Amino acid sequence: MIEPEKRCQEELTALKKEFEEFVYIVSHDIKTPMRAIVNIATWIEDDLGPDVNKDILDNFNLLKNRVGRLENMMNALLELSRVNRTKMELFEVSIPKLVNDCIEMLGDTINVEFHLTYNLLDKKCITLGKKLEKVIYSLLHNAIQFHDKVQKNVFVEVIENETDYEFVISDDGPGIPEEVKDKIFSIFYTANSKDVVDSTGAGLAICDKIIKMVGGKIQYAPGLNCGSIFKFNWPKTITVNN
Amino acid sequence: MINSNILVVDNCKVDVENAKKAFSILGLKDTLYFAENDLEAWDKLQGNQKISPIPKILLIDINQEGIKGIDLLLKIRKHEDLKSILIFVITGTDNEKNKSDALNLNIAGYLHKPIQSDKSFDFFSILYNYWNIIEYSSEKK
Amino acid sequence: MIQKLVNILLVEDDEVDVMNVKRAFSKNNIKNDLFVAGNGVEALEMLRGGIVPLPRIIILDINMPKMNGIEFLKEMREDENLKNISVFVMTTSNEDSDKINAYNLNVAGYILKPLSFEKFIASVATLKDFWSLCEM
Repeated sequence: MIEPEKRCQEELTALKKEFEEFVYIVSHDIKTPMRAIVNIATWIEDDLGPDVNKDILDNFNLLKNRVGRLENMMNALLELSRVNRTKMELFEVSIPKLVNDCIEMLGDTINVEFHLTYNLLDKKCITLGKKLEKVIYSLLHNAIQFHDKVQKNVFVEVIENETDYEFVISDDGPGIPEEVKDKIFSIFYTANSKDVVDSTGAGLAICDKIIKMVGGKIQYAPGLNCGSIFKFNWPKTITVNN
Repeated sequence: MINSNILVVDNCKVDVENAKKAFSILGLKDTLYFAENDLEAWDKLQGNQKISPIPKILLIDINQEGIKGIDLLLKIRKHEDLKSILIFVITGTDNEKNKSDALNLNIAGYLHKPIQSDKSFDFFSILYNYWNIIEYSSEKK
Repeated sequence: MIQKLVNILLVEDDEVDVMNVKRAFSKNNIKNDLFVAGNGVEALEMLRGGIVPLPRIIILDINMPKMNGIEFLKEMREDENLKNISVFVMTTSNEDSDKINAYNLNVAGYILKPLSFEKFIASVATLKDFWSLCEM
């Protein structure tokens, strides 16, 4: 190996190590004082006994809710940094089954009608199953969580092409305002205040990173009347280079 | 959450049935495997009938006639791929020597079988709850 | 069967976490004697010096100064007098490497400290039920 190239390699290795350590510090050393805040708040609440001013209780709940948010953000950062390092097993999945599993994981979907369309030659494929599941689940979860009507329609369409699958996940919710549509894939960005819908704002950033990793692309488009359309392609052959 | 295979080594039919019944109410039956003695258990851990992925939990009655329990535990603890299995000894009889040998092999618990079978559900649900609060390492490739 | 109350050695460096365990114990009416060591070195000294009477179990944090939980476990398992003690890891570390190392050293369980105190009380309640079945 020629000299500059070797130096680059060494620098890269050192940077990777530094990054790993950073992630570890975030995951452990910051979590400890964070947990202490919640715990001590709970103790004080507990020690105050039953006859407490309602304002005080409300403020305790606010405090705990915000630390909860902090924890979610921390976990999302960790997840984002580990996208290409964990759950990297290639295994056979049936695409319709995977979609159904994701719907099941959503929990309460009484007011949601799912419209599923498949155009597949072969339902099965060998892929990074956990990653694809994460993307589909996040998009479905967003479609429902940010929906503004009682009766919700969610559409999933999967088309098999020669070299990839095309996934289209859309809804008849409020859609995303034109002026912010470029920001939605950034980490922690939420179109609404986090007080309106308590969300971390990390889902799309993680999806984007996963899809880029497998060599695909995700795009947002507004629906014809209203709602959002998320379209992504997922290559049939995935080469993972770390 | 527990999401792994579990191997039960016991040759007492009543006890096995009690375990099966309790675990099926608790929603665990898909991941349960049974062996009647140490040889059969070894076959399921490393032999022809190898369970995949390797169970993370083993329940064994080491004092039952026909099961060389301590031998099996020794073999497990010496095996690179098996040594980290969580082992719970569940027994109906007392044997101080076996008990101290098992504790020296770092079993996760030495538990007495409930004497009345109507207590057996409570027993297994405590065990099941415990399995659900602990973390497991992810699958080895 | 009359069983001696098992003595618990908590190896934990964070003051708030120690208070947390004490509170969760009292909420669950756990009356066992609780001994506290701030790191692995201190814990080994206490165990070897006979400060924690038999029977005993250990609740172990992983990230600690001087000697961390995994290093402590290694040394303990090599000590003829200490190697058979049941160890329960209680940590914030969700690292797979920590879980693998701990289980390879045959801990009886690896518990993640939850964010909320209520959840922690529930975990300790489950642990108490489990301990009540175990013979030492």
